[in-house]
Amino acid sequence: MGFLAPWFLAGVAAVGLPIWIHLLKRHKTDPRLFPSLMFFEKREMSSVKHRRLEHILLFALRTLMLILLALLFANPFIKRDPSAIGGKKVLVIAVDQSFSMRAADHLSKAKDQALSLIAGLKPGDQAQVLALGGRVQALTQLISDPAELRVAVESIQPSDSRASFGELARYIRTLSESTHLPLEVHLASDLQRSALPPGFADLRLDPSTTLVFHPIGQAAANTAVENVVAPQRIFDPKKVRVQATIVSFGAPESKVETVKKNVSLVLNNKVLQTKTVDVPSGGRAQVEFLSLDAPYGFSRGEVRVEGADILPADDRFYFAVERTDPRKVLFVDDGRHPRAQLYYRAALDSSGDSAFQLEVVRPEVASSLQFSHYAYVVLDDIGTVSSTLEDALKKYVNAGGSVMIALGPASAAQPKVPLTDESIGVASYEGREGDRFLNVSEIDAGHPALRSVERFSGVKFYQAIHVTPAKSRVLARLNDQTPLVMERQLGEGKVLVFTSTFDNVMNDLPLHASWVPFVERSAAYLAGSGAEQPVNLVVDSYVELRTADNKSAAAEVLDPDGKRLLSLDQATTAKNFAVEKEGFFELKTASGRHTLLAVHADRRESDLSVIPRETLDLWRATGSDQNVPGASGGESRDKKPWPLWPWLLLLLLMVAMAESLVADRHLRPAADNPDIRKEAA
Amino acid sequence: MLQRFLDPKVLGGISGLDLVAKTVVDGFVAGLHRSPDFGFSQEFAEYRAYSPGDDLRHVDWNVYARTEKMFLKRYRGETNCQLTILLDMSRSMKFGSHGTEKIEYARFLAACLAYMAHGQRDAAGIVIFDDDVRNFVPPSTRQGQLARILHAIESAQIGTRTDFAHPFRHVQEFMRRRGIVAAISDFWESPEKIIKTVAPLRFRGTELVLFHLLDPEELRPALKHPVLLEDLETGETLEVSPDYAAHEYPPKIQAHVEDIKTRAQAAGIDYFLIDTSRPLDDALREYLAIRKGKL
Repeated sequence: MGFLAPWFLAGVAAVGLPIWIHLLKRHKTDPRLFPSLMFFEKREMSSVKHRRLEHILLFALRTLMLILLALLFANPFIKRDPSAIGGKKVLVIAVDQSFSMRAADHLSKAKDQALSLIAGLKPGDQAQVLALGGRVQALTQLISDPAELRVAVESIQPSDSRASFGELARYIRTLSESTHLPLEVHLASDLQRSALPPGFADLRLDPSTTLVFHPIGQAAANTAVENVVAPQRIFDPKKVRVQATIVSFGAPESKVETVKKNVSLVLNNKVLQTKTVDVPSGGRAQVEFLSLDAPYGFSRGEVRVEGADILPADDRFYFAVERTDPRKVLFVDDGRHPRAQLYYRAALDSSGDSAFQLEVVRPEVASSLQFSHYAYVVLDDIGTVSSTLEDALKKYVNAGGSVMIALGPASAAQPKVPLTDESIGVASYEGREGDRFLNVSEIDAGHPALRSVERFSGVKFYQAIHVTPAKSRVLARLNDQTPLVMERQLGEGKVLVFTSTFDNVMNDLPLHASWVPFVERSAAYLAGSGAEQPVNLVVDSYVELRTADNKSAAAEVLDPDGKRLLSLDQATTAKNFAVEKEGFFELKTASGRHTLLAVHADRRESDLSVIPRETLDLWRATGSDQNVPGASGGESRDKKPWPLWPWLLLLLLMVAMAESLVADRHLRPAADNPDIRKEAA
Repeated sequence: MLQRFLDPKVLGGISGLDLVAKTVVDGFVAGLHRSPDFGFSQEFAEYRAYSPGDDLRHVDWNVYARTEKMFLKRYRGETNCQLTILLDMSRSMKFGSHGTEKIEYARFLAACLAYMAHGQRDAAGIVIFDDDVRNFVPPSTRQGQLARILHAIESAQIGTRTDFAHPFRHVQEFMRRRGIVAAISDFWESPEKIIKTVAPLRFRGTELVLFHLLDPEELRPALKHPVLLEDLETGETLEVSPDYAAHEYPPKIQAHVEDIKTRAQAAGIDYFLIDTSRPLDDALREYLAIRKGKL
């Protein structure tokens, strides 16, 4: 027996109150003076004796009331076996189905453990089966049917998700609060350390919850391909470099220092290269492959590490590449800035993967071209843009195309920036003669187009066209607050505006080191056609299907087995979807872009080290203070606190009623009390 | 006849015993007899026919003028009498349930008696006692005797317990002339002992009057709850129930009073019970009326 609030027991001291009223006060009453007691006899009257007895009863009742009240506030409880409370148990059986459970026969052992728990259920006991992966999946409600529970356990398949014990604890807390029942949670898992949440508080359980661990397997050495760095697009196979990281998670007692591993680069199920690498136990090793002879189109790449271990599923790492020809960039120039195309072409050609080829045309020719054949279009201060060209460009951008606009002296005479419709003000002009120039003062360094440009440091801007941004987002400003780079989304596409020229007349940007990264990054960003989306993902990541709410275009996803994952309704409405298993997913976004996604399991699952017993005891102790550290076996069945306050409350009410009756009978004034009146008569 | 009665509480508000006595005595004496000579000793008794040799000074010439017959006026106690007041100052006299303690009432009564004696030039004295004699003013007719008596009454302090034997023995020693002894007490003693103690005075021809002062609460105690009573003189305590006080005590105190009265009458002692809730002048009037009838 214990007390949840023992400090309230101090209230028992209030018992002194009735003692004082009934005993001390009575004796401390001042005697009444009388001339002589000559005619009073030293004997007590029967009525006084009788009343004194009754007062003792009243005193006992009042004392009992106070003691009960103090006990009630102290909230006493007794420890009882949960099965004794109502005679029924409520079990929650959680089976870990995370990626690490693919090791050896861990999952089947976990399922066997769950089935044995179900077999031990008594009639009337309730149970629920949970599958624990990246999220907690309730396979049944709280039911008593063992057959249904067995079917649920049998249906659990290994997943590629990462287990999260924090999610499990959160689910159990919610279940405990909604059912108000003491839960007995059985967790059949490999108890990976990596499944713990960052904060221990996330593991908190309700006091009425008992957690029982069923450890499956033990810590073991495991080698895995932790990461592969490969370009998404290949333009020149000889310039491709693929880097792989091989990691070895050593067993605690392992004495092997390094192991030799053969690592192979596989493309479309064909081994291209194999290298041998020494992997230190508990460490990492890098492998680099310097060419990737991929055919045109999407290819399914894979880095494999050979050699059997306990978890073969993580011995390969998928990646997707796309072999394309260099994409053409349309550079519309009216010949006013001859050096602009020179500098721009040089910058594009000097980029590492030679992804773009520059094609220069005059504005009058440009309107007759099919823009969709180009990665993006550059308008180099062409001044007046014909309505035909502008309409064609708008149509191109709305369909997902991109345009880069450079503004210069020719644009200063125009009222608006083409496509973005931002109004053009006066040209901000600073003379070269007096070494008066402007610098970039504000820049959105996180924007994909401006990454690695080093804030345009050292670049001098002598002239910039002042544009008032109404609907555009300013990515960089000069120190006189003139916007330098602006972006506006139009339909599925985007427009970047550079308010100075690309030659070295209005600025000296082409002569600085930040010029090439600027052109390269902005080209990659503009050619990306929509939000930049990685093609190598972790399981349970979300993939964006559409950027705008465009129901007319359908998206499509094929899983590694070639099955369609989206229903017709989802194909037209879903904005994203989660990839839930390893492999290659074929994706067609609403904008019509085809992508091959390589999805791999979270490599934290490859670390099979187990949570220390002390941590498990602490976790279990958050649910029930009865648990004894060290008793992690499934046989331990902890007793649960059983509150006594309802019974105490009932008893207190009864005593209070009895006290009222006794007090009414004996403390009522004599004139109102028929018994005393009768005695007097 | 319109008669006023003086509430003891009203008398308690008057400062000075002489004023209290004057207020009480002059009031009822004037109302009843219009005679300043009404008193203990010079009381008119009867007329007697003149016979030769009688002192002509006692002839009532008024009667002679009306009837042409000579009658002599006869008086009782023609010589001055001496009055000795015995005032009990024991602790039991400190009790009072209705605003006036018995001791206050006794002071007023003693002052009134002394005043009356002084008024008819009788010698008056006082003995103040509890278990011993605490103060004694010998009877005298000297000038300033009343003031001495009143001062003795006024300065008397409450003593301890009552013991009649010693004070009465003291009185017996100095009383050489026959006179009147008025004992004012609550007589919380056995009747037998009381009478046995005071009776010897009677043998010398002294008239003895017992003024028995009792508070209404002493006669009919009213208790609502069981209470712890403490004896004022002994300090003894006793828990008493209302039932006992209402039903068993009154017959006992009545029997006590009756016993004293009976024994006093048997010993030729005047006994007069005074309830201290009664107006003082009313009680005195009644006493004097009874005494007159007796005499």
